[in-house]
Amino acid sequence: MAHLELDKVSAAYGKLRVLDGIELSVAKGETVGLIGPSGSGKSTILRVLTGLLKPETGSVRVAGETINFDKPADIRTLRNRTAIVFQQYNLFQNLTVLENVMIAPIKVHGRKRSEVQAEAENLLEKVGLANKLESYPDQLSGGQQQRVAIARGLCLKPEILLLDEVTAALDPELVSEVLDTIRELAAEGMTMVIVSHEMGFIREISARVAFMADGKVVELGAPADIFDAPNQDRTRDFVGKILRH
Amino acid sequence: MDYTFQYGQVWPYLPYLIKGAWLSLQIAFLAFCGGMLIGTVCAAVKTFGGGFSRHAVNAYVVFFVNTPQLVQIYFLYFALPDLGIFLSSYMAVLLGMTLNAGAYLTEIQRAGFESRRQSEMEAAEVLGFSRLQQIRYVILPHVAKVLFPPLSNHYILMTLGTSMAAIFGVEELTGRAFNINSETFRSLEVFSIVAVIYVFVTLIASVALALFGKFAFRTKMRVV
Ligand SMILES: Nc1ncnc2c1ncn2[C@@H]1O[C@H](COP(=O)(O)OP(=O)(O)OP(=O)(O)O)[C@@H](O)[C@H]1O
Ligand SMILES: [Mg+2]
Repeated sequence: MAHLELDKVSAAYGKLRVLDGIELSVAKGETVGLIGPSGSGKSTILRVLTGLLKPETGSVRVAGETINFDKPADIRTLRNRTAIVFQQYNLFQNLTVLENVMIAPIKVHGRKRSEVQAEAENLLEKVGLANKLESYPDQLSGGQQQRVAIARGLCLKPEILLLDEVTAALDPELVSEVLDTIRELAAEGMTMVIVSHEMGFIREISARVAFMADGKVVELGAPADIFDAPNQDRTRDFVGKILRH
Repeated sequence: MDYTFQYGQVWPYLPYLIKGAWLSLQIAFLAFCGGMLIGTVCAAVKTFGGGFSRHAVNAYVVFFVNTPQLVQIYFLYFALPDLGIFLSSYMAVLLGMTLNAGAYLTEIQRAGFESRRQSEMEAAEVLGFSRLQQIRYVILPHVAKVLFPPLSNHYILMTLGTSMAAIFGVEELTGRAFNINSETFRSLEVFSIVAVIYVFVTLIASVALALFGKFAFRTKMRVV
């Protein structure tokens, strides 16, 4: 059964139609990569999947259950199962790195502080921030904040992880560290949707890749097909341009 | 210029002046607290409310921000009795300063409310925070941090503004200075001492507030 399923999902910001009949399903433990030009709606898909944006039409199913976006209980279920790492990190500026990671498990899920702290420290060490536990976000570089956001997401122990451009703000050395972390998660069977311009990485880690343009999934297939033998002209165009860089 | 300073005549009044300064601080503190109460409610109405309540708040703010504080207190003290409402000079000053502070603090706090960061609210929402938890853990700490410096500044200004009470015969620091002046006629001595007391009082407040801000919000404030 698909873990995550979008069926003819359309969404808009005011009058601006941003998603236009999206069909996408992600199997349990599968990693799907989302690529496409800026403004094509990649981040918006993730916003729908976290209940931040209600689709106008279409349905979203998680583990077979259709989410009713008007029902707080359904939104809560959705959010309990997913974690998102935002393109802009969205850390809490008034909390330290450690508190950023710990607050939701403790305050929202009511878990024991000592247990959460051990886990949070472990995760932060994994992303190379063991010496920044007491720092505040504005004392960190973009890449460091990005890794805090990843640790914050993972500390929720989600079934589904949504990653939005998590390597965009990282320098090459750190990219490989973060990518290693993501690879491990994939190997451990986490269901993931990854938005990235990092084509090499998308190609390597994704079981399938969706190419998006103008709010539609233009083409969906195995990485080798999308990158080496795309069916659609738009895909060929985009992939050609990106790979030539 | 061959003025000979004669502080000797004025020194004995120092305890009397310091008691006056204490009253100044009291007026400023009470008016500030009252103003904060009004300001918080009005700022919330301006940010989240609608319709009539918003217009009412706007009218209040526009009126009090655009008229001199002195005129406002005059109105309370001299004009209200015509309507059958009698306030003591102390109450008129306190009420006038409170209403005036309420208007300014509404504007200051509204700016703070509006600076709440959408991105953090979304993160909190996605992490599963309830509305109350969002306010408690995200909005309030941020708003408090943003608001602390301008609120501190306004508090200092209000401390100095209490000197207006002297005009109405309230015996706070400036009022007591008037009294001593009319007894001794040593204006230069009296008012230089009073000036030093004001500087001293506001400096202590500034330093205390700056230290508190640094400790509580990690803000960097210039003391002088
Ligand atoms: N909060 C918003 N309000 C109004 N329009 C928005 C908002 N967020 C995004 N949009 C618009 O929705 C469209 C899709 O945006 P989205 O962020 O999903 O693109 P994206 O594929 O993630 O792009 P990028 O690669 O630049 O991150 C864009 O045209 C954008 O301008
Ligand atoms: Mg995006």
